[in-house]
Amino acid sequence: MSKQDEYTVIAGCGRLGANLANKLSEEGESVTIIDRNKDSFRKLSPSYSGISLTGDATDLGVLRDADIERASAVISVTNYDNTNIMIAQLAKRLFGIGRVIARLYDPEREFVYRELGIDTISPAVLSIQEIDKLLNKKAGDAE
Amino acid sequence: MKSRVFLIGGFNKTKFLANSLLKKGYRVTAINSDADKCRSLAEIEKLEVFHGDGSKPFVLEDADAYNADIAIALTDRDDDNMVICELCKKKFRVKRTVTLISDPKKIEFFHMIGIDAVVSSVSTIASVIEQQAFMDELTTLIPIGEGRIRVSQVPVTENAPAAGKKLKEINLPVIVGCIQRGTMSLIPRGDTRIHAGDILVLISSDEHETAAVTELTGR
Repeated sequence: MSKQDEYTVIAGCGRLGANLANKLSEEGESVTIIDRNKDSFRKLSPSYSGISLTGDATDLGVLRDADIERASAVISVTNYDNTNIMIAQLAKRLFGIGRVIARLYDPEREFVYRELGIDTISPAVLSIQEIDKLLNKKAGDAE
Repeated sequence: MKSRVFLIGGFNKTKFLANSLLKKGYRVTAINSDADKCRSLAEIEKLEVFHGDGSKPFVLEDADAYNADIAIALTDRDDDNMVICELCKKKFRVKRTVTLISDPKKIEFFHMIGIDAVVSSVSTIASVIEQQAFMDELTTLIPIGEGRIRVSQVPVTENAPAAGKKLKEINLPVIVGCIQRGTMSLIPRGDTRIHAGDILVLISSDEHETAAVTELTGR
């Protein structure tokens, strides 16, 4: 599939959601970003060419408005773990989307949901890995 | 041994349910993320109370959710309730999960992901209000199977077509489970005669309920 055929729906226009939307849009993908608060879309870059949709991304009507059935990927990055889980489950189970990723702040919950077949990323776990890498590199330099 | 029930989130509903379940002899555990509400809940004798977010695995683990038989999610957020039920079912192997839902459009989805029973306060209350407002002669007591089956009571007035007739003389597409006559209640047979002033308890499917009411009351 070429980049032009990819369609990504992002739930939550925070720093992560907005930057991700900017990047995908820059790469030529179709993107729709959903947020409850219209002001959140200010974080999108002026060159963002996707759609921004104001509404609750756990609402079935809003997801249909976002044309979620057509999406090749759904990424759920609101600021609340359980909302992200619910959106991910809706996308996967109800709309049959193949690639679904949810951001979860709580690493323990992340572990459970990874077992349940949802791709999850946890900022805390990623940070720990990176910090660990940096520390090891420093230790290596000192030798 | 009686089942162990977990009530997660909620306050007034939790209090009411806890009292009622304890009275029936269940072991009841309440989990609430609000410290003040926990204190108030702890005043209920025999109720075990845990303070914490019930959608977090370690809180459920501390409360020993592995040994719960029934988990009931009563928070006012659908996403929290969904996560609570999923964790209980899939991580803690709780046999039966029940949840409150505020968005009736997601009832089917909740069933799809494996939640055993979904109670929508909006659609339940709306249907009760509808019945009270439009059908004075009929009160549905218990909706079963998402309201497809109903247990309802119908008072028979003096000028109702069913008054004075035997049960087998009326063509009813429903089951008359019980007749309340004054302080007596009797289990009817085909030759039981219906009197004015009786209250019939019907078991019916929702599409046959109205037909039965018309048959009995003439309205």
